[in-house]
Amino acid sequence: MSGAVVGFHEDETQAEHPAPAAPPRGFRRLLAPGWLRVLWTIPLFFGIGAGLVVLIRWLEGWDPIWNGSVITTVELTTVPLGFLVGLGGFDYWMRYATGAATQAEDHSGHGAHSWRDYFRINTDHKVIGIQYLVTTIVFFVIAGLLAMFMRAELARPGMQFVDNQTFNGLFSVHAALMIFLFVIPAFAGIGNYVIPLMLGAPDMAFPRLNALSFWLLPIAGIMMVSSFLVPGGAFAAGWTGYAPLSVHQPLGTVFFNMGVQWAGASSIMTGLNFLVTIITMRAPGMTFWRMPLLVWANFTTSLLVVIATPFIAGSQFFVMFDRVLHTHFFDYTAGGYPLGYQHIFWFYSHPAVYIMMLPGFGIASEVISVMARKPIFGYRLMALSLMAILVLGFSVWAHHMFVAGMAPWLRVPMMVTSMVIAVPTGIKVFSWLATLWDGRIHFYTPMLFALGFVSMFVIGGLSGIYLAAVPIDIHTSDTYFVVAHIHYVLFGGSLFTIFAGIYFWFPKMTGRMYNERLGKLHFWLTFVGFNLTFFPMHYLGIQGMPRRVADYAPRFADLNLFISIASFGLGASTVVFLYNMITSWRFGERAPANPWRSLTLEWQVSSPPPIFNFDEIPQVVGNPYEYGVPGARHGVFNGDRVPEEHEVPV
Amino acid sequence: MRRGSIVQLVVLGMLFGAGAAAVALLIPWLPDPASEQADRIDFVFWFVTAICIAIFALVAAVIVYSIIHFRARPDDDEDGPPTHGHTGLEIVWTAIPAALVTAISIVSAVVLAKNEQLPNTSSASAARSAQKSTVDGLCKSRGGDPMKPLVVCVTAQQFSWLFKYPDYGSASSSILRLPIHTTVQLQLQSLDVIHSFWVPQFGQKQDAVPGLLTKLVITPKRLGTFSVICTELCGLGHALMRSESIVLTGDKFAAWTKSQQSGATGTGGAPSGKALFVSNGCDGCHTFKPAGAKGTVGPDLDKLPDFARRAGKPLEQFIHDSIVNPDAYVEPGYQKGVMPGTFASLPAAQIDALVKYLQQGSK
Repeated sequence: MSGAVVGFHEDETQAEHPAPAAPPRGFRRLLAPGWLRVLWTIPLFFGIGAGLVVLIRWLEGWDPIWNGSVITTVELTTVPLGFLVGLGGFDYWMRYATGAATQAEDHSGHGAHSWRDYFRINTDHKVIGIQYLVTTIVFFVIAGLLAMFMRAELARPGMQFVDNQTFNGLFSVHAALMIFLFVIPAFAGIGNYVIPLMLGAPDMAFPRLNALSFWLLPIAGIMMVSSFLVPGGAFAAGWTGYAPLSVHQPLGTVFFNMGVQWAGASSIMTGLNFLVTIITMRAPGMTFWRMPLLVWANFTTSLLVVIATPFIAGSQFFVMFDRVLHTHFFDYTAGGYPLGYQHIFWFYSHPAVYIMMLPGFGIASEVISVMARKPIFGYRLMALSLMAILVLGFSVWAHHMFVAGMAPWLRVPMMVTSMVIAVPTGIKVFSWLATLWDGRIHFYTPMLFALGFVSMFVIGGLSGIYLAAVPIDIHTSDTYFVVAHIHYVLFGGSLFTIFAGIYFWFPKMTGRMYNERLGKLHFWLTFVGFNLTFFPMHYLGIQGMPRRVADYAPRFADLNLFISIASFGLGASTVVFLYNMITSWRFGERAPANPWRSLTLEWQVSSPPPIFNFDEIPQVVGNPYEYGVPGARHGVFNGDRVPEEHEVPV
Repeated sequence: MRRGSIVQLVVLGMLFGAGAAAVALLIPWLPDPASEQADRIDFVFWFVTAICIAIFALVAAVIVYSIIHFRARPDDDEDGPPTHGHTGLEIVWTAIPAALVTAISIVSAVVLAKNEQLPNTSSASAARSAQKSTVDGLCKSRGGDPMKPLVVCVTAQQFSWLFKYPDYGSASSSILRLPIHTTVQLQLQSLDVIHSFWVPQFGQKQDAVPGLLTKLVITPKRLGTFSVICTELCGLGHALMRSESIVLTGDKFAAWTKSQQSGATGTGGAPSGKALFVSNGCDGCHTFKPAGAKGTVGPDLDKLPDFARRAGKPLEQFIHDSIVNPDAYVEPGYQKGVMPGTFASLPAAQIDALVKYLQQGSK
């Protein structure tokens, strides 16, 4: 594709725009957006937060005027705001809002020329995608270490290393980080990098919003991790934070309540951005039925995010209000309703399961089709089943509450809807299998992870059938069976596809190839370690080991020791991944534009792509997965000739 | 599709099916059921398992067959055949799973209804019971109607269980005793946060929610002692919130309830220290020889004089303070906040009786 091979034409592109302003000097550097400004805006906003609390308490005559826990709660809003203001997240909009002359966009905040450009507000979706991925992997490692610590404690019955409150903090923070700081934003990161390229767009629809939504993420993550440092320890009511327990926990709970708000706001902004980008910024000829399935997946995921996330925000605010403002949302002695929390919470958190899985479905479809060298089987049904999961996903939340004491009649309808979700999910699995059938399969690392995902997700899906059946759920809910199930779905499902996606687009993102041998080693260590760690948990749960306990019956000791040892092996496999990523990024072989011989648009530009993605706007002329169709094209560039129909050999 | 490949696929499928079936059958997955409800839950379990083995075998066979037969050499640049779909196949793999999950749903719904069925709920008996029922919080006794199920009022709090038998006067215990082959309705309440009652061998589980009365039906069918486990995270003592349930013969159960009714009130109507110790569930967590208590969650109360010495208080004062304000002194090796603080609200006379009993018994 001669017209597609493009190098960096930064000078040309920038020539269309005003020249960037000269960098500020002297004390003006303190006023320019950046880390120097952060140094004084954080103390300023800290002062505003503390001052506000002291002022109100003084006016109301409340004693003591300086109340540490109230001030901390308020600071969890104001300090992050100070950080964002300092970094320059609001500069452009502030000018706009105050009626000042808007600055002509000089694109100086776009793209990365050195590593420093990854540490500032950057409007390039490719930079933001990498910012997302690196940040989420950092939190993935932290959350994984927390899990290792947990397994060390669980290697023997009784208490060894930590006390109960700390242990409850370990699994709560582990889950919260993995969900809100790893799986959800890692998919957002991959989507951020790939979606505009797949659509043939120069960037996301709202680049400044995109930059802001990334910078909310480290705030949320640091907030959750730092809760270990506050008096009373980290939040310890589980990532589900059920009221009324969470209302009466130490101060750390507020760090979860607010951390979820920041991560949730980030999700919502990104979701909106994806929706608008996908709806309005498709290249000419890119109809909905010509979109790659990853785009479809991010479209449905973004709908889920935008509709559902406000519910978890609400549930966490209610808990915080009960605690700080002495409201009675969940205090039954004053008319509150403890089960109300669970309904609101799961109305988000069940769709969140699909937020954490649908992008993985998309990645698996891309990888399997390209590496089996065949069109995706039943493309339209694949897209429609995503939409079906989206709709059904909102009608099953109460299957988390079969033993919770909610209205008994609600159980059977919720069981039926939960069961029905197996149908569109089954369609996807069978379609992947049919795509493999008769293909020319290349087992590169992304394909190994994609196939590992399909097989592990089938096991997770089947154990989901057990949990959807109310009588079995009554026996197994809140046991290790559930722990096994969610890890088969979220580790075997989401994490495997995230790995598949990272390996698949690594050449595109970094311009270098990863080490295939290490990639395969990473896959096999992960695959074996994962099964040895999590499969025995099914047995523990059915036999009678409840989840979220540091101490357990002595008869489970041997199996728990086995699981702990396996989990350390699983943890060690991550070292191989990190080593591969770091060394390949620095020293890896130069990647060609299209190492996988893929048809989708992101592979038709150089690796890494030019700063504005496409020097020429592509014209989409066909479906994205026409492997084996002679002469088929998905996108063509100006100057390329579309082959006439009679020229195509059949 | 060639005939040979179909044969190979079927063989692979059978191998995976047999392997999965062996894993399912050779490992004793389910706890030995001790209630009629658990039997029915096990039936659903095996029904679902049979379907899951078939699906697993199919998927695994196709994946492994594809890996073996459709592997491309690294230098092979060819593409596969451009198959875009097959409407017939797509209908089949939509319809069959839909039929299977419908079947599972129906079986589950029937079993659920059976597992919650009470032996007799005629309106006549309801009218009769309304007159005589005694009440513990929201929990109501069957009111002397022998046709209705035995009621046990379960009170959960951080971090202990208390079982009361309103049909047998003031009988109460931290250990759940149930007569065999009798349908029992547990009525659960919580004093603080959400807890969940589970006995793995009974198969039944139900959350206890503050402000609500939740119900659970159990019909024990096997004699023995089984663990009661709290499965809903309820705070730092969650892992320790365990007790026991004992299934007794009808005669032994009757004898026990009788001993409770006579023993609960000592001479002159004042409850004895020992009865209070048991009825408040102290024995659920503590060892105390005079009461025959063997709990290991909290400190061994036979060593109270040692503890008092370490706390630097006279024994009587120490015991009193430890009941009313458990966190004032915590024995090394144990944690603050595990023992409920609610015993402070017992009547002063009962606290005094408990203190006296513990003081005498531990000397």
